[in-house]
Amino acid sequence: MAIARRLKRGLVALCAVLGILLWFVALLLFTRVTENTDDFARLQNWILAINSIGIGVLLVLIVVSLAQLIRDYRRQVPGSRLRARMVTLLVMVAVTPLVGVYIFSVEFINRGIDNWFSVDIERGLNDALDLSQTALDTEKRGKLVELQRIAGQLGTAQGDDLVRVLSGLQTESGALQITVYGRGNQILATTSDESESDVPRYPSDELLLQLKHGPYVSIDPRPGDQYQILAAVPLSVPTPRGDLEFVQAIFPLERRLSSLADAVQLTYKEFNERRFMRTGLKYGFTLALSLVLLISLLASVYGAFYFARRLVVPIQQLMQGTRAVARGDFATRVPTPARDEIGFLVSSFNDMTQRLSKASEEARLSQQQVERERSKLEVILARLSTGVVSFEPDMRIRTANPAAGAILGVDLETHVGESLVDMAHTRPLLAQFLIVCQSHLQRSESEWREQIVLRGEGGRRVLMCACTELPGGDGTPSGYVIVFDDITTLLQAQRDAAWGEVARRLAHEIKNPLTPIQLSAERLRRKYLKTDSNDDLLDRATHTIIQQVEAMKQMVNAFSEYARTPSMELTRFDVNALISEVSELYAHQEKPLSIKLALAANLPLIEADAGRLRQVLHNLLRNALEAMEHQPEAYVEISTRRMQIAESDSVEIKVLDNGPGFVADIVHQAFDPYVTSKPKGTGLGLAIVKKLIEEHGGQINARNREQGGAEISILIPISVDAGHSMGRRHDHRRERA
Amino acid sequence: MCHAQVSLARNNRSLAILARLLAAALACWSFGTSAQDFIEQPQTFAQEDPGHFEVRAANVQLDGGVYYLNARIEYRLSSEARDALQSGVPLRLRLDVQLITNRRFWFDAEDAELRQLYELEYHALSERYIVENLNSGDQASFGSLFAALDSLGRVEHLPVIDAALLDHGREYDIRLRAALDVEKLPGPLRLLAFWRHDYSLASDWFKWRLQGD
Repeated sequence: MAIARRLKRGLVALCAVLGILLWFVALLLFTRVTENTDDFARLQNWILAINSIGIGVLLVLIVVSLAQLIRDYRRQVPGSRLRARMVTLLVMVAVTPLVGVYIFSVEFINRGIDNWFSVDIERGLNDALDLSQTALDTEKRGKLVELQRIAGQLGTAQGDDLVRVLSGLQTESGALQITVYGRGNQILATTSDESESDVPRYPSDELLLQLKHGPYVSIDPRPGDQYQILAAVPLSVPTPRGDLEFVQAIFPLERRLSSLADAVQLTYKEFNERRFMRTGLKYGFTLALSLVLLISLLASVYGAFYFARRLVVPIQQLMQGTRAVARGDFATRVPTPARDEIGFLVSSFNDMTQRLSKASEEARLSQQQVERERSKLEVILARLSTGVVSFEPDMRIRTANPAAGAILGVDLETHVGESLVDMAHTRPLLAQFLIVCQSHLQRSESEWREQIVLRGEGGRRVLMCACTELPGGDGTPSGYVIVFDDITTLLQAQRDAAWGEVARRLAHEIKNPLTPIQLSAERLRRKYLKTDSNDDLLDRATHTIIQQVEAMKQMVNAFSEYARTPSMELTRFDVNALISEVSELYAHQEKPLSIKLALAANLPLIEADAGRLRQVLHNLLRNALEAMEHQPEAYVEISTRRMQIAESDSVEIKVLDNGPGFVADIVHQAFDPYVTSKPKGTGLGLAIVKKLIEEHGGQINARNREQGGAEISILIPISVDAGHSMGRRHDHRRERA
Repeated sequence: MCHAQVSLARNNRSLAILARLLAAALACWSFGTSAQDFIEQPQTFAQEDPGHFEVRAANVQLDGGVYYLNARIEYRLSSEARDALQSGVPLRLRLDVQLITNRRFWFDAEDAELRQLYELEYHALSERYIVENLNSGDQASFGSLFAALDSLGRVEHLPVIDAALLDHGREYDIRLRAALDVEKLPGPLRLLAFWRHDYSLASDWFKWRLQGD
């Protein structure tokens, strides 16, 4: 590309230089118009053609440039106004002196040429010519007299005699040739000098005509600046037909006179010739000048266009660059022209755009960084189990993470920009949450922390809330951020752990002294009851002691059972079979229980600890039994079915009865130790069930049926691995919740 | 050889026409800007004798195996040319004799060309007109322009071509033209002659048929 451009530029320059040289040579040749050379004759057409072509080319270039300029001006192309002004200025600057010089020169040449041919010189030359002619006339007359003398001496000589006489007379008179013509221009005799040819010159018509009236004499210019005097004298009276005898003689002109006369003739001729040609000369000079002027004029006009364009191009580029920068395109670079002020301007501009582009790049990078940070934060917030909500002072949501929505039971993310107050009307959890928040906000606390208990359909929820104010510009808060955690499960776990510890301690501390107490009571009984059979008090007391100790032992065992965590013994077995087996035991007790089984047929084998599941079933059934102790038609239904929850296979076991159900207050704490509504029981039955199910990675839920009675549903994964993964996912979900 | 000359001549002619056109445009411009006498002169010239060259009669005769030309030509110089002559400018007259073959669908071929050049000059000192035949070098002087032009116009026994060079029985056209040779004028006059018709004096072609023998 660059090579092609350079080549083109070189070619154009070469053409221009060649054109200028050619034109110059043509003009130089043209100035030789005044010289009478054959070269010029040959070249004249060429010179005119070259100049004309040059003018034509320049005219075309100018017209094209002008058209381009006008078009640009009309379209208001940037830089065209400046270009037009520069062209006008340059043309005026170039044309004015040129035209002045031209007019002056033409006038000068015309006057100068006229002055060459001054009247004085002309008169002098005319006089010189007159003088020469007079001198020649004298000579002519002398020679005529001489010839007349010769004619007189010829007498009547005839034939050879005549030739002899003639020869003598020729030598005597110094004539070059003497010829005697008879009638009918017949040569009678001729004699000539050695230098003259032997052939006598034929008399011209002019001479013959003149002879009829008298003698004839004339100067005859010969080649080689020689002059001869031709004279003729009649020898007889002409006949009526015009024939006559005459003698014709050629005399040489004296050498000195001849050369002088020739010099005068030559000078006169040249002067006259030049004088005559002065119109042409003036014309030639004017033409040459006009050509020079025209070509210089056109060249300077075109030069004006060219240089204006060259000058304006960087400015134009600069303008385009400025516009591009104004549009925000900082990558614009303007090609640097020569090392002048415009070049400096352009390089400064380039520096500026470079810096701007660097700055904008940095801004972009930092924005990207912020953006990345933000998205990272969003990911973190999304993954966070802690709910984070930021809102405006007027309670409109600004941002919320999914955990916040999950905890409050509202999809807050989709309601960004809406007011929390408006949303709370239909959402009880959010409403409770808001009441607490607003109470703090109304007190205009900038930072607060509180544990909130929300009561909803899903049960009690304990939230740990922390709120902080977002700093605004002028001291007023620009918003708030509330961070809250659902610590319900945490509190539950803490409670479970505490109960476990209590149970372990109780088992350990109480069980040990019980056996000695029991043994001691039995010993007292054995020893003193036989001897003193009337002692009724002893019997009753020891019996009570032993019985209560037994009861206490049972209680302690239950506790230790609760605290115990033996290793799981996993086997694959059929849940339905287990349920049937266990329910069979209860069908044949002293107080028969109507147990209805609704077992699914296609249940897979599950991988679990069969002993523990058996205990779960025992506990549940016993729990139901105990709850319905005074119920006339006690009824328990156990159903199983296969559940597909989130890619993992599980088995659901549902145990429901028609008893009194849970007390409404404690239904959510049903699985806590010592939460019981029954007169009997340790209060650990359901707590142990829950613990066992959770060891298997399952879930347990309790609720009251609408038609009365309790319903407990258990979800056990088919395999422990799946259960754990499900449990984990479940845990995870719980964490998020 | 002949063809080359023709094409060269034609080239020259077209070039001359081109140059004349361009120069005429230039002249219009330069006339407009330069002195006024340029404007006045053509008007005065227009009233004067434009001059006239004409071939009145011409024939060739075979004599001893060579064709000789006899012709009568009328030369009448234009006023401008006569003025130039009187001022001492030598005028060159050209006599062109061409032997051509007619071709039906193409330019006629020039088979032979004879160019006879004469120079006519006024000798102020002797007040005589000198006619010089540039081909032979012969020179003659005349007391009047009429006598000189009359002598020029009488062409007698001018050898044109050897009969042996002509194809037997073939028909040739022979043509004759007399003209003022502008190219030999002095520079300034030639420049003027460039677009003034005072100097472009030439007769029409005088053409007749010749049977090759």
